[in-house]
Amino acid sequence: MSKPQPVILGELPSLSKLYMNAAATAARRRIMGSSAGQATLPAVSHEVKGVQADVANLTAYQHLLGETASDILPAGFVHALAFPVSMSVMNRDDFPLPLLGMIHLRNHVEQLVPIQFTEALDIRSWSENLSGHRVGTQVDVITEVRSSSSGELLWRGISTYLAKGVFLPGIDKPGNSSGSGDNGNFSPPDPTALWQLDLDIGRSYAAVSGDFNPIHLSVLSAKALGLRGSIAHGMYLASRALADVGAVKSDAFIWDVTFEAPVFLPARVALDISTIQAETGAWQRSDYVAWNPRSGRRHFRGSVAPLS
Amino acid sequence: MAAADAPAGENTGTPGTHNTHAGTDGFTSGEQSKGVKGTRAAVIVGGNRIPFARTGGAYVKSSNQDMLTAALDGLIARFGLQDERIGEVAAGAVLKHSRDFNLTREAVLGSALSPETPAYDLQQACATGLETVLGLANKIKLGQIESAIAGGVDSASDAPIAVSEGLREILLDLNRAKTSVQKLKVLARIRPKDLAPDAPNTGEPRTGLSMGEHQALTTAQWKISREAQDELAFNSHRNLAAAYERGFFEDLITPYRGLNRDSNLRADTTLEKLSTLKPVFGRNLGSEATMTAGNSTPLTDGAATVLLATEEWADSRGLPKLATVLDGEAAAVDFVHGKDGLLMAPVFAVPRLLARHGLTLEDFDFFEIHEAFAGTVLSTLAAWEDEDFGRTRLGLDGALGKVDRTKLNINGSSLAAGHPFAATGGRIVASLAKMLHDKGAVDGRPARGLISVCAAGGQGVVAILEAA
Repeated sequence: MSKPQPVILGELPSLSKLYMNAAATAARRRIMGSSAGQATLPAVSHEVKGVQADVANLTAYQHLLGETASDILPAGFVHALAFPVSMSVMNRDDFPLPLLGMIHLRNHVEQLVPIQFTEALDIRSWSENLSGHRVGTQVDVITEVRSSSSGELLWRGISTYLAKGVFLPGIDKPGNSSGSGDNGNFSPPDPTALWQLDLDIGRSYAAVSGDFNPIHLSVLSAKALGLRGSIAHGMYLASRALADVGAVKSDAFIWDVTFEAPVFLPARVALDISTIQAETGAWQRSDYVAWNPRSGRRHFRGSVAPLS
Repeated sequence: MAAADAPAGENTGTPGTHNTHAGTDGFTSGEQSKGVKGTRAAVIVGGNRIPFARTGGAYVKSSNQDMLTAALDGLIARFGLQDERIGEVAAGAVLKHSRDFNLTREAVLGSALSPETPAYDLQQACATGLETVLGLANKIKLGQIESAIAGGVDSASDAPIAVSEGLREILLDLNRAKTSVQKLKVLARIRPKDLAPDAPNTGEPRTGLSMGEHQALTTAQWKISREAQDELAFNSHRNLAAAYERGFFEDLITPYRGLNRDSNLRADTTLEKLSTLKPVFGRNLGSEATMTAGNSTPLTDGAATVLLATEEWADSRGLPKLATVLDGEAAAVDFVHGKDGLLMAPVFAVPRLLARHGLTLEDFDFFEIHEAFAGTVLSTLAAWEDEDFGRTRLGLDGALGKVDRTKLNINGSSLAAGHPFAATGGRIVASLAKMLHDKGAVDGRPARGLISVCAAGGQGVVAILEAA
């Protein structure tokens, strides 16, 4: 794929406006008929320069997620900080998939260098790998965060989203799709933690992350979008697991998560974190898996490993 | 009230005549540096704190756990303690939420230390920080642990607010009520006054006087002048500013939340400016009110930590040995009925500690007397210089002695840095250990420093450190 053409945005886009616009687009497409149909991704990247974290917001995020309140930005906080930029890419008129109702399948983060909260950041985002999925079409949104002063790459994320029920011409369904949430042979281990997630956790995470997607805010707003109730943000769950892994992950690490069954709120979520050590006792990896303690359905799984 | 009638500030010129000299009571100098005979030394490897912030400032949203963890992680980074199992960590906070019952252990779990590091909380009002150092040093001396981290933290910004006593009782009764009718009956007891929150204050439960009002009584009793208090405050700011200028704190402080210096420090303050401030304490005491916001410490947020170890532990890791913890002493006074001032307990602790080691005030190179108020320091010095007080209250032949003012709080103290209650002990111990190390030996003996910290409840803790 040729390098995407950069579009510089003056400031971080407002997520609430993006969601409003996405809702309007969805309504328009419903009435006017789908304008989707093109099976190509826009060959552009969106970039915002000189973004700086708000310290009060950082502290609130750290308190909510159980992160140590250090001056270093948690990897999940960087995702939230950059999210408006990646959202703006998916909200373009020439983006082939409808933004509202997209399902977060997987997330991959490379935290290359610790980021001080005072550091000015350049955030760039674009889409890649439009491909078929068993039940629709999936896409990767790539985000890079660099130091504004040195240009050094600090953080890189790949979010894979699924537009369920959307099939584009020329994009074939794969025979055996990855990340399909095959729960067939999962037998829950003994949990290392049990999370009690109240109904308002979606609103609390929305307040610190800025992600006011209606499916997370209330039963009513979620029902309006066809869900039977509000669900926890995937990145809230994954970021909390990352916080639980703790300081062992050190400065540079890879953080992966695959989302499976959504967590309808309120909920109890069982979690197991297992640490894999080398013979020397050195940390090699932490694997985590979360499930519904009543049904045994797996909600998400992932790992944190050192970046070598 | 004999002290009240004594001429304050009079110097008898014969300080320390009552005391025996070092080495005459069976200690050899070698044993002395190890504190108690037959035990090993507890050395101070170094310290780390975050800059202290005036309340409502840079740490307005930061909890005690946040700040303690930040100070701890700075210490870990400075001395390479990542994933290290430390013998024990002890710290505390004076203003503490009930949910923080395991504050120190939670901070350890959030830090880069090994999760197999045990920890406990300690609380002794403003002496908390110094007492953690003494308790852990004793464990090291006794051979129970090889390494330890002492510390303290306090937030006046994120202070706990409790429900009123009336509402608390109603809520507990509500929890016990079984039927809806019973529950309604309990709820019907709530009155508007029950809804007023109960915020912490610095008032003494038994006297109803605030700490400042108590000190105002003591300040007046010892006839400490407004000018003397302002001068002490001025020196505190000047000394702290100079210490920052020459980089003294570079290996003692880690920036946090955008702050890299104590935000209370006024490097440009002058005696004239200080003299224009209006008195805030002791305005209804009859005598002239002399205590202002300038010569009293403000409410502050912050945290401090100190790394302690055996000599072997420090040597095996190539870490510095700044000073040894020689010994400590606690004292308390009957302030409730006015026999002594609320913050005067160190006045009694120091002579006992000196006697145990056969030392006089002249045997010290540094004095770190915590500046709760300028009046506290000056009243303490006045009591030690008072011959009558020395005889009648301290049981000496005369005055304890005179503190050489050129050796007092030479890198500033709480008036300039601020005083996040439990964090002050760690600030003082780490700074003094560094000063002692820099000084090295004096007249063939290790440089020696005296720490004095007063505390609410009429208590005080003092300690002696020696250059290692």
